[in-house]
Amino acid sequence: MSENFVERARYLCSLGGAAATVTALPGGIPILHSASGCAGNFAWTQNGGSGLQVGGYCGGLTVPSSNVQETEVVFGGEDRLREQITSTLKVIDGGLYVVLTGCVPEVIGDDIFAVVNDFREEGVPIIGAVTGGFRGDSYWGYDLVLQALVKDYLDKGLAKVKGRVNLWGVVPYMDPFWRGNLEGARHLLELLGLEVNSFFTPADTLEGIREAGAAELNIVLSDLYGQGAAALFQEKHGTPFVTTSLPIGVSASETFLRQVGAALELDPELVQNVIAREKRHYYQILEPLTDCYIDLDLQRYAVVVGDANYAVALTRFLADDLGWLPVLTVVTDRIHENGQPALAARVEQLASGFSTNLVFESDASQVLGHLNQVWPRAAGQKYYNAFSPAFVVGSSLEREFALQIGAPHLSVSFPVANRAVLDRGYTGFRGGLRLAEDVFGQIVANR
Amino acid sequence: MSYFDNKVPPKREDRLSAVIAHQDSICGLARKGKGGKSCLIDDGERGFTQGTICLLLPALAMLNSLPDNVVLLHSALGCGSCTHSQNANVRMGSNARRGKAQDGIWLSTALDETDVISGGEDKLERAIIEADRRYRPASITIVAGCVPGIIGDDIDGVAQRLQPQVSAKLLPVHCEGFKTKIWATAYDAVYHTIGRNLLEEKGVTEHTPQDELEVLREQERLARTVNLMNVSSMGRVDEQELERLLVSLGLEVNVFPVFAHPDSFVKATRAALSISTCPTHDDYFLGYLEERFNVPSIIKHMPIGIENTSLWLRDVAARFGFEEQAERLIAAEEAELKEALEEFRPLFHGKKVFVSAGEFRALATARLLQEIGLEVVGIRSFHHDHFAEVEYEKLAREAKTDYVVDIANVQPFEEANLLNRLKPDLFLGHANGNMTASKLGIPTHVIYNTGLAYIGYRGVYELARRLHRQLSNPAYNRNLAENLRLPYSDAWYQAEPFSYLNTRGRSVNE
Repeated sequence: MSENFVERARYLCSLGGAAATVTALPGGIPILHSASGCAGNFAWTQNGGSGLQVGGYCGGLTVPSSNVQETEVVFGGEDRLREQITSTLKVIDGGLYVVLTGCVPEVIGDDIFAVVNDFREEGVPIIGAVTGGFRGDSYWGYDLVLQALVKDYLDKGLAKVKGRVNLWGVVPYMDPFWRGNLEGARHLLELLGLEVNSFFTPADTLEGIREAGAAELNIVLSDLYGQGAAALFQEKHGTPFVTTSLPIGVSASETFLRQVGAALELDPELVQNVIAREKRHYYQILEPLTDCYIDLDLQRYAVVVGDANYAVALTRFLADDLGWLPVLTVVTDRIHENGQPALAARVEQLASGFSTNLVFESDASQVLGHLNQVWPRAAGQKYYNAFSPAFVVGSSLEREFALQIGAPHLSVSFPVANRAVLDRGYTGFRGGLRLAEDVFGQIVANR
Repeated sequence: MSYFDNKVPPKREDRLSAVIAHQDSICGLARKGKGGKSCLIDDGERGFTQGTICLLLPALAMLNSLPDNVVLLHSALGCGSCTHSQNANVRMGSNARRGKAQDGIWLSTALDETDVISGGEDKLERAIIEADRRYRPASITIVAGCVPGIIGDDIDGVAQRLQPQVSAKLLPVHCEGFKTKIWATAYDAVYHTIGRNLLEEKGVTEHTPQDELEVLREQERLARTVNLMNVSSMGRVDEQELERLLVSLGLEVNVFPVFAHPDSFVKATRAALSISTCPTHDDYFLGYLEERFNVPSIIKHMPIGIENTSLWLRDVAARFGFEEQAERLIAAEEAELKEALEEFRPLFHGKKVFVSAGEFRALATARLLQEIGLEVVGIRSFHHDHFAEVEYEKLAREAKTDYVVDIANVQPFEEANLLNRLKPDLFLGHANGNMTASKLGIPTHVIYNTGLAYIGYRGVYELARRLHRQLSNPAYNRNLAENLRLPYSDAWYQAEPFSYLNTRGRSVNE
C-alpha cells in the first residue's frame, strides 16, 4: 500500500458517503453545502460502482446544493447556506433535511450549526453534519450521518423496549448489495422474534428512527462502519452494542444468531430451534448441487478482495460453507494499525480449519504481487503445484487481475460496474445460496 | 501574450462571458444573436440550486482516456471518484481502438486534515516519484481539485521542480471546482497543459529523407491530413462516421486528443487543418494551434443532424477545393438517409420533444429532431456563449412557434416544472440527467453515450431508430410515473418555473 497516494480509491469522500446515506433514509433530503461539482461526482461514482444504482427519492443531481463559488470563499458561505435552506424547504418535500459540508466551506470556516440551529428553533426537521472530504472516506461519512442522527434527531430518555434492536453497519450504495444485505440480516433477527429498526429498508420510517433510543441493543454488522455512531449511541441513549461480521451464508448466520441471542439473553432453545430449522432448509436446497459440484470439480482456490466487511465475510463463506481454499484475502480500506487485529481475528480460526493470508492493500495493481508472495510462481519445473483452478471474488477492478491469473471472477465489493443489483443480498442463510449461485454461475457460464 | 503563457487558463465567464443562469426563448436568443448582443447577456444567480458537476469531471473523461497516462489527483479523497463510471468508457474505448479493454489508472493524494493545515506539496512530490516508479507511464497528469486551490499548493511549481527527477512527462491541470461555474472550462484546462507541454518537438524527429520523392510524398500526405477534435463527446462509432466522410473526400484523419498517446500529440501541429466537432469544446486550443503552429481551423457547425453534417462537410471541403466532390457526396448521403428515415416518420409526426444537454449538443440535437419530424417545445442548455448564435438562428427559422430556452447548469427542479407544463412526448437529456423526465412518465433517451451513434448521417439514422424504439413502448417510464414521485412540492409545480432566477438573471442588455 502506498503511503503517498491511493490508487483507484474504492470509496468516495466522507461527503459522498454522507450524501448517499441521507438519500437512503426514508424521506431524507441531503442539502450539500459544498462546491457545485460534488453532487455530480457522487452520481457518476454510483453509476460506475454501485451496481447500476444512482440516487433515489432525492439523490444524484436532484440534491439541493449551495454550489459555493469564489465569492463565498472570500466572504464566507453562511448567508448562501441560509438562502439555500429557506428555498429548499419551499421546493423540496422531505421528512428530514440534513446539511452536509464539503471541503470548501470547511476550509474557509463556515459554521453550519449556527445556521441549522436557527431553523431547528422554528421547528424545521433539520440537522447538520460536518463531512468535508478531507475528513475521511465514504464509510466514515456514513458513520458521521448516523452520529448526527444519534445526537440531534433521536428522541432522548425513552424507556427501553424488550426485543427491540437497531441494525446497522451496511453502508448504502458503498455496499452495492446494501438493500438485500440489510433485509437478509433483518430477516435473521426477526426469526428470533425481534423488532428491528434498520433505518434504510422500505420497512423503516422516520418515526421508527426517532424512537431508535428505545432499543435494548444495537447490532453493528461491521468492525468499522458505524462503530463511532454505536459508541456515541451508548453514551447518549444508554443502549449497548454488539459488533458482528457481515453474516454471509450458513456458518456465519449461525454464529450471528448465537451472538445476538447471547447478548439479549434469549432462550438458547429458541435460538437453537431457529438455527436447526434454517439449516435444514439450507441443506435441502443445496443438496441437488452435489452431483455437479463433485463431477465438475467445482472446488477452487480463491483470492478475495474487498472492503472491511466483505473481505473477511466472503473468505469465511468460501472456506467454511463452500469448502474452497481462499489463500489470499485483501482488505482494501485504509485501516489504521489499531483496527487491523479485529479484522484479522475474523479469519484466523475458521471452522473449516483453512487459513488465508490477510493483507491490507487498497491498490488493485498490487494484488498480483501479494499473490506471488503467497503462492510462488512457476520456475520452469516439470511438476508445479499451480494456483489453479482459481476464482477471484472482488470488485470490478479485479477483472484485469483475474484475467492475468486465468480465473473467473465475481464483482461483489465496490466498485461493481459490471452487475445490475437491486435487492439481491448475500446475508443470512438464503444469502449464502444466492452467493453460491453467483460464483458457480460464473464458473459454468460458458458450459 | 498568449493565455498559454500563464500557469492557469482563464475561466470561461471571463474569456467568453459564458452564462449559466438565464431564461429566454429560441426566437429571443436568435434576435439577440442577429443584433450581435447575445454575448452581453448578464449571468444570473439562482436562490435555489441543485448540485451539478464541476470542470474536474469532463477533464477526467479526457485524461483517463490517454493511453500510458496516469492521472494523479491532488485533492481530498473523493475528488475523481467519478472515474469509476468514466472507466467504462476507457475500457470500451480502448477495446474499440486497440482491441483490448483496459482500465484507466487514477490516483489520489487524498489530502487530509493535516495537509489542509500544513500544505500538500511534499505529499504531492512523493506521490509523483512513487507513481513514476510504480507505473512507468509516459505522462502523469497532476490534477488539482478545490482544496489545493484554497490552501495555495503550487502544482506547477512542484511539476517543474520534479520533472528532472522522473521519466514521465509531468502535466499540471487546473480543475479547482469552486473557481468557475462553467464546467466547459475543463476543455481549456486540459488543452492548456497539452499546449504548454506536449506540442514541442522533442529529440531528433527530423529523419533524413531517403530521396526527394519520399519528401514530396510526406508533404503531400501532411497537406491533406486533418485533426479531428474529440474531447470524449464522441465514441469510436461516431469517429468512424466522420472519418468515413472525410476519407471519402480524400483526407487523412488524426483523431485528437482522446485515446491518443501523449507522445503522438505533436502530430497535431503538422496537420493541414483542425476540424472542431463542437465549438463548446475546442476554440481555446484551436486558436492556439493557429497562432503558434499556423494550423488553420474550422469551428462552426456540430455534425449532428442532416443539415449540420452537410454544412460541416462543406466547410471542410471548401478549404481543400473539394466542393464538387463534397456536393456529390452530400447529395447521395442525404437522399439515401432521407429515404431510410421514412419508416420512422409516422410515429414521430406531431410529437413534442424537450432537449437538454451541453450548449451545442442540445442545440444541434434539437435541429436533428426537427429534421426527423418532431416538434421541439423546449431546450435546456447548460450554458450560453456567443458560439451558440448560429444554432439559435437555425432553430428559430424552423420553429413552428416560439419556445422556452432555459440556460441552466442542469437544475432539474426548473426542468420538472417546465415538463409538467409542456407535457412533451419525448425527452432527450445528458447522462445522469434523465431521471426527472423518466419519473414524470415521459419517454426518455440519453443524448450522449460513447457507446451509441449520434454523429453524421449514420448518427441521424441510428438516433431516429432508437427514438422509434423508445416511443414504441414507453412502459418503463409510465410505470415509474404511476408509482413514484419526484421530491418537488406541489407549491413548486404551481410556481413560475424561473421563480428562483433573480432579477439580475432575468434582465438582458438589449
